[in-house]
Amino acid sequence: MTSSLPVPLREPDRASAPAPAPAAAPARRRRRSPRTAAWLFAGPTAVLFTAFFAYPLAASLYQSLTARRDGVDVFVGLDQYRRMLHDPAFLHSLANTGLILAVQVPVMIGLALVLAVLLNQSWLRFRAGWRAVFFLPAITTLVAYAVVFQVLLRTDGGLADQLLQALGAGPVDWLNSPTWARISLIGSVTWRWTGYNAVILLAGLQAIGRDQYEAAALDGAGTARTYSGVILPQLRPVVLFCVITSTIGTLQLFDENYVLTRGGPGDATLTPVVYLYKVGFQQLDFGYAAAIAWVVVLIIAAVSLLQFRLYGRERRR
Amino acid sequence: MSARTRHRNHHQPTDDQLELRHAPTRRRLLSAGLAGGALLLTGATGCATGGAGTQDAKRLTGGTGATPTGKVTVWSWDVAAKALKRLGAAFEQAHPGTTVEVVDIGYDNAYDKITVGLGAGSGLPDILTVEGHKLPAYIGNFPNALVDLTSRAEGLKSQYPAASWRTVTDAGGQVFALPWDSGPCALFYRRDLFQQAGLDPAALATWDDYLAAGTTLKNATGRKLLILDGKQDTTFAQLLQQQGQSWFVDGKVAVATPAAERALTLLKHLVDRDLVDFENGWDGLVSGTHDGKAATTPTAAWWDGTLTTDLADLGGKFGVVPLPAFTPGGTRTSNSGGSTLCVTAQSRNPETAWAFVSHLLADKANQVSMMRQEGLFPAFLPALDDPYFQQPAPYYAGQPAMRLFAELARAIPTVERTADDSKAGDIVTTAVNQVLHNGADPGTALRSAARQIATATGRQPVS
Repeated sequence: MTSSLPVPLREPDRASAPAPAPAAAPARRRRRSPRTAAWLFAGPTAVLFTAFFAYPLAASLYQSLTARRDGVDVFVGLDQYRRMLHDPAFLHSLANTGLILAVQVPVMIGLALVLAVLLNQSWLRFRAGWRAVFFLPAITTLVAYAVVFQVLLRTDGGLADQLLQALGAGPVDWLNSPTWARISLIGSVTWRWTGYNAVILLAGLQAIGRDQYEAAALDGAGTARTYSGVILPQLRPVVLFCVITSTIGTLQLFDENYVLTRGGPGDATLTPVVYLYKVGFQQLDFGYAAAIAWVVVLIIAAVSLLQFRLYGRERRR
Repeated sequence: MSARTRHRNHHQPTDDQLELRHAPTRRRLLSAGLAGGALLLTGATGCATGGAGTQDAKRLTGGTGATPTGKVTVWSWDVAAKALKRLGAAFEQAHPGTTVEVVDIGYDNAYDKITVGLGAGSGLPDILTVEGHKLPAYIGNFPNALVDLTSRAEGLKSQYPAASWRTVTDAGGQVFALPWDSGPCALFYRRDLFQQAGLDPAALATWDDYLAAGTTLKNATGRKLLILDGKQDTTFAQLLQQQGQSWFVDGKVAVATPAAERALTLLKHLVDRDLVDFENGWDGLVSGTHDGKAATTPTAAWWDGTLTTDLADLGGKFGVVPLPAFTPGGTRTSNSGGSTLCVTAQSRNPETAWAFVSHLLADKANQVSMMRQEGLFPAFLPALDDPYFQQPAPYYAGQPAMRLFAELARAIPTVERTADDSKAGDIVTTAVNQVLHNGADPGTALRSAARQIATATGRQPVS
């Protein structure tokens, strides 16, 4: 194809551009060496990074080694970290996170997968509309989210309860019983993030060509066999990506349980970040809050590293 | 199609996507770090004022006779903001050249804003509204963030209930705010429901009587006895203050004391006998009361403001008696809520700020007007002598309900306040919820809370 063209493609471009003054260009190049240019480009980011990222990180690391006694910050070494090991509230928050990871993430990814497959069907009309509808919860503001779920889950006469009672069941104390509060939390997180994951999975599905389905059909595979044997295996990296981001999201869970239960009743829906908020802003114990933040960061780093490992292995397969 | 093409299709897009997918993953990880960083940043700001702990707090320097001038800004919420706006206009008229700007910051995020502003040392107005039970933690943790008002306020000490005065002073007696309203507690009850059950509210001398009456009342009317907040109930603190203590006694952790166990056991008995209706937050309490879900509300005088405005249609149905005591002849009131006004060290106009605060809170006529108009029960004792408090109230079927509160206000037990009150209060709330919702044993839950508070504050538990 290219061989049939008399001149390389780039040539006409350069020729048609107004010719720069031959002396000016090299002069400018001499004044600003490539290295200076690199610094100029990187500079603003570097300054912002230092001011808003590196400095706060360092300051909070120091903060986590202090405790405030009579209005003065005292250096206490690793005391705040040791305190965490014996703090039932913190340990409960970790256990709650573990529960959500074990139950909510698999359920949500499963649902998202089903949703993505449905959204990918050629017979589906208004596809863009459906996609938007399912994605919407992820970008809903916290205030709207809070109002809706409070109306849904109110102890008396909440919509969920009315529905249950119409079916002859209930009443359920959605937010004040430890078990139901956990179920409500898992349900609301799932509501908020399933569509988000479904859209990512859909992107993965769309990268799989139609020919794959045709090939599978020609080879005599039914719909179920096509998905289980051909399509889903190719989607594994995308699923893994969703699992990783969802895991990080779960470890940072704050909005949903802050809005619904403030971590209660008792510690039933407390997560490390809500606890961190309570310790910092309600108890004014900034040293301990900073220490908790660092432990959360370390846990996220460790879990992510583990999953990246799996990811890497996946990639080599 | 050949196996070969399939093979290629299998790999190529996947590899491309992998590069793409790596990018958002890293970004997500970075944003995870940033979110953590943002939280940490706010934590770190506490550090900025931490080093300044040795300095003395800012004081008022001008002469007492100076003419107030210039602009002051006040943060407040709800009816308190309404009262400030009304009296702010009057203050501007009385002192030409002054401007009072009132900002209603809303209750829900008020303390987040105040905490960040005090920690960062910037972004605050001249005057803050802070509830009495929250103030000692701010005074203690941000020692130089509020103006020391001692030189001007000292002489006013005897004009306020001792319990309120304790919330505006630090351990050394320095004054950092003036008490605004106070919250003497009594038992509001539904006349119609008590009559239906054949019960005499005046006979509720002790909490045991109250428990027994609850069962009778429930059998007769099907209503519960009281409403508690499902998340952050404050009744436990109220029951504890009734017995003359708060979280600390002589600087030691005192949440596992016999008094505390008595208070929490009472709440547990109420729950176990199914006499409690749990509602969420303030709105739940108001609508639950309106719907007649419970026959009594053991709470403070300011509840009157809500009853007479939001529940005006229930006029004539309520009555008030003193709180039942823990032991026969014991204390029959406590305190719940009550706010204060303080001047921030960031204020460029602290003299005018003080002039406005004292004009509002140490003035009989203004305090009485806030009782009449906004239902804010005055902490300023001379205001309680006003004839308004003697009047029979049609809303309470002719009972002069405010006279009872005026008497109880002088009997509120004074309790110890410390910089660690916010830590202790938060940990205790969790323990209380474990007992009320998860069926934990009161003694066990309180002992565990006491241990946590001891670790968090470095204080010893009382022996």
